[in-house]
Amino acid sequence: MTQQRILANVNRDEFVGRDAELQEIVRHASRLVDRRGLILLAAPGVGAAELLRQAYDQLFFRRGDPIPIYFALRPGDGSAETARRFFQNFLQQYIAYRRVDPSLCDAPIGLHDLVELALPGDYELVADLVESFERQRAANDERDFVRFCLNAPHRVSASGRKVFQLIDYLRLAASRDETMLGQELATAVARSGSFTSVGLRRQIVSLLRGVEDGQEAAETFHLKSLGDDDARRMVDVVARRYEVETNEPTRDLIVQQLNASPFFINQLFKAAREAKTSLTNFLNCQRLYVDELMGGRINRHFARILHEVAPQAQNRKTLLRVLYESAAGETHKASLWAWKKRLGVDAAEFERIVDALHVHELANSSAAFVEVNVDSYVWMDFLRAQYRLEVAGEARALVVATTLLDTIKRAPQTMARKYRRETALGLRDLVSYFNCQNLPASLFHYDRFAAAHKGADTESVNEALDAESDLIRLPQIVHATGCSAYAASIPCGGERCAVAHGFEAADYTDENEVVWLAVEIESKLEASRELTEEWCIRLTALARDCGFQKVRLWLIAPEGFSPEACKLLNEQEAYGSSRRQVELLTARIKSEVRAEQAGHVDEYEMIIPMSADTELIAAHAVEQIARRVNFRPEAINQIKTALIEACINAAEHSLSPDRKIYQRFRLENDKLVITVASRGVVPANLASDNGHEVRAKDEKEDSKSRRGWGLKLIQTLMDEVEFERVDDGTQLRMTKYIR
Amino acid sequence: MAETAAETPVQTRRIGDTAIIYASDYLNKLSGERIERECKRQLESGSRALVINFRDTELVNSIGVSILMGVIDAAEQSNARLIFSDVNTHTASLFEMLGLTRHIMLVKDEEEALSQLNTQTNAAGSPAS
Repeated sequence: MTQQRILANVNRDEFVGRDAELQEIVRHASRLVDRRGLILLAAPGVGAAELLRQAYDQLFFRRGDPIPIYFALRPGDGSAETARRFFQNFLQQYIAYRRVDPSLCDAPIGLHDLVELALPGDYELVADLVESFERQRAANDERDFVRFCLNAPHRVSASGRKVFQLIDYLRLAASRDETMLGQELATAVARSGSFTSVGLRRQIVSLLRGVEDGQEAAETFHLKSLGDDDARRMVDVVARRYEVETNEPTRDLIVQQLNASPFFINQLFKAAREAKTSLTNFLNCQRLYVDELMGGRINRHFARILHEVAPQAQNRKTLLRVLYESAAGETHKASLWAWKKRLGVDAAEFERIVDALHVHELANSSAAFVEVNVDSYVWMDFLRAQYRLEVAGEARALVVATTLLDTIKRAPQTMARKYRRETALGLRDLVSYFNCQNLPASLFHYDRFAAAHKGADTESVNEALDAESDLIRLPQIVHATGCSAYAASIPCGGERCAVAHGFEAADYTDENEVVWLAVEIESKLEASRELTEEWCIRLTALARDCGFQKVRLWLIAPEGFSPEACKLLNEQEAYGSSRRQVELLTARIKSEVRAEQAGHVDEYEMIIPMSADTELIAAHAVEQIARRVNFRPEAINQIKTALIEACINAAEHSLSPDRKIYQRFRLENDKLVITVASRGVVPANLASDNGHEVRAKDEKEDSKSRRGWGLKLIQTLMDEVEFERVDDGTQLRMTKYIR
Repeated sequence: MAETAAETPVQTRRIGDTAIIYASDYLNKLSGERIERECKRQLESGSRALVINFRDTELVNSIGVSILMGVIDAAEQSNARLIFSDVNTHTASLFEMLGLTRHIMLVKDEEEALSQLNTQTNAAGSPAS
């Protein structure tokens, strides 16, 4: 059964891709004791307003405490009108909820009729509110009147009725008056109890910054664009709603071209229904899209924003020129100084214009630069067309025709980019998982891998990799992004190249700082020496230009590298992998991460003080744990001794400020993983070389030396031992396999 | 199992000029030092052979083992013989790993230890030696 709609524009079952967010709002409303608010930071056009309306409907029909109240600010209403509307809206929704009559929510009812509709238990409260409202209005003090109206929910809350306000700030104009009104509303809302507010992410944070009990006390939630799959489902749903025929390729094109924006998708399909056109081929899609761009809803959307940004026609025209010319530049940005000079407006107006562009994400402004947002096809198409029409003065027919031709020619490229993105290895994502794991070196050396494993099935390759003793320890990556963020000149999509900053051995020192430059290069056969060299030069130049000191190049070619290319990679101490190697590597890294993230049922934690013999308590605990998975008695003794040694090591070396040893025992399918951590200083010889230095030194020493045997024992008794640097101290990870 | 910080005397018995010292359940720094002290005391009081009996010892740590090296040194300097008895398999393998077995004889039990010492004494006293 479909849930009845009250404020929502679409049925619940047609509201796609926001289940988690909806649930979060409902969950938040249920937390009566928690007066904190929830602030949704929305990117433009992601369907945030509908999300709030859907939440209202859901809360209304749930019939629990508290009473949901929804309000959306409208631009240009002015303070008094907004306040009056807020008051009326509040009373109407309050009475509708109490009477369980959703039709009252938006019925055209006067305030005195509302008093008559109030339930007997609410009559006095509602009558008092309306009487006070009339009195305040008659007093002709706008400030007091606004404050009275906005605080009506607070008065109701004070009388024992819980309200949950859902406030939509999305259309708040970037003007001083509206910002002040928004802040006043936010203050009143925060005072009356729990709430959910939604606004443009670049606006609402600064709006609520100065609000008492606002931003600081509230939880925040980011509302990003829909993913491709959800957006495709949405296109399907919207097409059915508007009875517009589509097919799979056109649905994909619409998603890509409209950047998966629910707002633009809805606008396009409304237009398709009005034009009675089917969207079953690219030509029809692009015709309709260009119509919308030139004079339809999409045009009006951007025109409205630009009008708000630059109300004066001449300023708007200059702004169009500056925006277009900045977008056309290689970096898409220019200095604030250059912008100000070209716009020719005073400082306050300039600041307002740049802020408004920033809020609507048409440009990104920083302290020094303004960068036009070129990631949105729709915005770029609009900007280009408007520039040609209004600034360059080209004939409309010519602009329409060439825009249509361009978008038709672009469609297959748009799809190709999507396919390439989908088939890309996701290097940025992959390198983000690098966290000091030890991986078989052959996964980074195509020549070795090909010599040992070419033609072998995955299972046997994995077995051989498990047995490989030559390991490469990955760095800990702390920041990774596409190389296009550093250099627009490198010819690869954002998904195919990554610049990853990190530290070797997770040791946060200058010497251990390293940048991995990873790129997926295109080659149908094994990549040739020439192609490999070309990429090495490009990446080295990027490293030089960016001033990276210590760099590791990692090239990935689908079929690997020719012997000459491998030789070159080895000469340059660069890594080279085939797609298969990367897949094997990814599986290894991600299975570890998944296991870590999944949270283990068979995981135990224990904290012991660093004092006499407390390590025995830990040893007895680990014995019980190891017995559960049938370790042999001999292995159990080895584990106990290793743990005792690890505890002694932690107590002796760490200069721990809290004098505590933190232990975790994790049972996995075939192994027990023990981590022993302590705060304090890191013994330099341990963290730097994972303890190998210590072992070598010990072995050289006469066995009669009195101390320093702990680590040697641990390494002998356990199957894998690894020191990990943690934020404040050291962590030793020991693994014992069940045999 | 573990000893408290309060001083617990090390159990010892003497058979002729052989002292038998009993290690506790956990050989760590504290209990190791007590054994070391007791061994030195026995050597000073004329013992010519020491047997350290590990029948109660379930766990050892590296600090405890390293202290035993001091006992080996002390015995060597006094020309006294030293035997470890009743060492469980796990502890024996640790002694092996840490190189103690290059300096010390491990035997099954106290009886075998005394018999070994007798054999060595007789061999030392025989005309052929």
